[in-house]
Amino acid sequence: MSAHQTHAPLTFGSGVSAVFDRSRRLLVVLTMFAIWELAVRLGDVNTLLFPTFSAVVVSLLSGLGFGGRPELWGYIWQTLSVILQSFAISIVLAIILTSFALVSRFAKDFLYVITGMFQPLPSIALLPMAILWFGFTRESLVFVVVMSMVWPVASSLTVGSATVSRTLVSLGRNYELGAVGTLLQIMLPAALPMLISGLRVGWGFGWRTVVAAELVFGSTGSSGGIGWYINNSRLFMNVADGFAGILLVIIIGLAMESVFLFIQKKTTMRWGTEAA
Amino acid sequence: MVSTQGSIVDARRIGGPMRQAARSHVIHIEGATTQAPNRGEVVVSIEHVSISYTVGSGKRKVIPAVEDVSVDIQRGEKLIILGPSGCGKSTLLMALGGFIPISGGTMKVNGRPVSRPSMERIMVFQDFNQLLPWMTVTENVQWGIRKRNPKMKAEEVRERARRQVELVGLSRQADQFPNTLSGGQKQRCAIARSFAATPEILLMDEPFGALDAINRERMQQELNKIWSEQESPTTIAFVTHDVAEAVLLGHRIMVMTNGPGRVRAIVENPAVGRPADDPEFMQLCADLRELLKEEIA
Repeated sequence: MSAHQTHAPLTFGSGVSAVFDRSRRLLVVLTMFAIWELAVRLGDVNTLLFPTFSAVVVSLLSGLGFGGRPELWGYIWQTLSVILQSFAISIVLAIILTSFALVSRFAKDFLYVITGMFQPLPSIALLPMAILWFGFTRESLVFVVVMSMVWPVASSLTVGSATVSRTLVSLGRNYELGAVGTLLQIMLPAALPMLISGLRVGWGFGWRTVVAAELVFGSTGSSGGIGWYINNSRLFMNVADGFAGILLVIIIGLAMESVFLFIQKKTTMRWGTEAA
Repeated sequence: MVSTQGSIVDARRIGGPMRQAARSHVIHIEGATTQAPNRGEVVVSIEHVSISYTVGSGKRKVIPAVEDVSVDIQRGEKLIILGPSGCGKSTLLMALGGFIPISGGTMKVNGRPVSRPSMERIMVFQDFNQLLPWMTVTENVQWGIRKRNPKMKAEEVRERARRQVELVGLSRQADQFPNTLSGGQKQRCAIARSFAATPEILLMDEPFGALDAINRERMQQELNKIWSEQESPTTIAFVTHDVAEAVLLGHRIMVMTNGPGRVRAIVENPAVGRPADDPEFMQLCADLRELLKEEIA
């Protein structure tokens, strides 16, 4: 009997348990929102400084075009385009750095040292330098976001490549794959569990960095994405809009987590190279 | 151990000269010629091969693993390399695969020296994790065929893969990923992929070594069956330390000495594919065990 068939009876139980887990979590979130709504309505809270949850939702929906001008989409795209561009650059850089590290001992040490140096540094600390070098431009944002993403991605890719089974590498040699063939057909897919986890961490760092950098840009009056929108809402005392922006940052962050989980379920978890 | 009709036929399929040599088992003791007369076309020629490892700081210490091994392997022959653990049999196979260099002698396949791994010499490893985990059983087999025949039409690749998957008894698991297969099924898939790539010689490094006894016996019988059902019989070099496995599978059995490995004897095997209770099978097993005991002692 295959392992697949053996696992079948477990699926029902784990499925039911997952539904309960989700229901419980949803209940926690709904309770939090209810407490927020009631506390502001019943308590002596200045709604100009701390709006009700319902006001924030109305503001969010209005910004998305449900009963108002759909201005939020532009800000969302602005932020997403910066982070997606940075993500692509980071992945390419990480693959190049890891490839060098795999063939050269010096490059491996270089990557090890530089990752160790930059990993603990919040890359937002580089923003003043980036503004000095690139001005208040998109390039400054991309620079700091790349600096926050590339190290965790490169680091996990290096660890992932180093832990690829020697038998699979020998298999690649046996079937006469060259360096590029081995990288693309053996190393990358085999290192995918580590790579996805690196991309996830990298995305998390990048997402925080881009919003923070936009807030700084916002304080200087330049146009920008969601961070800028949040800061602008503060300037005009549209606090509900500011909270809507914060909610949006959380929602997009969670949506990206779901995308990574979906990719994992369709790839590494399905292949059994990563525990479900 | 149960014999199948297929594996008995397999013994009879050996060509005239081989059958002649297989009437009685002849033990060539070290120093005697290792090339039986009137054999078929030589595919692999190993002459006075030595292999050494270097260890220690600066890699100054040289440890000989294999010394002065000479043997020819004929087309369509299954040669078993038998010896105690650590005798260098896997090292010899890895060298034949081109994965490690030899330090002396010559090693040729079809007259060309072995210098690097090649699809002419496909390896089946002992490790269950030799399948690409991101591909299904069929896709793994198709991958091997495509690598070997990049210009083959997709339809032909699919058909050849389907045939090999069916031959190893994995039709029901054809669309499953390796993580859902048992150890034996994984090895079957690896064998299907290797046969499908039609190498000049298949190198098998104790592929059933990590299986339980029942599965190991089944796989041994099935290897004989798969080998006999190929369009043209594949040449196989098979490493094992299991005497019964050697007698069941090998047309000839090369016994190696305890490390550093030398050729202790080359045995003609008349009992290939026969049931374990066959008198000749049992006699040869006993003879080989005696040889191995002398080595270990």
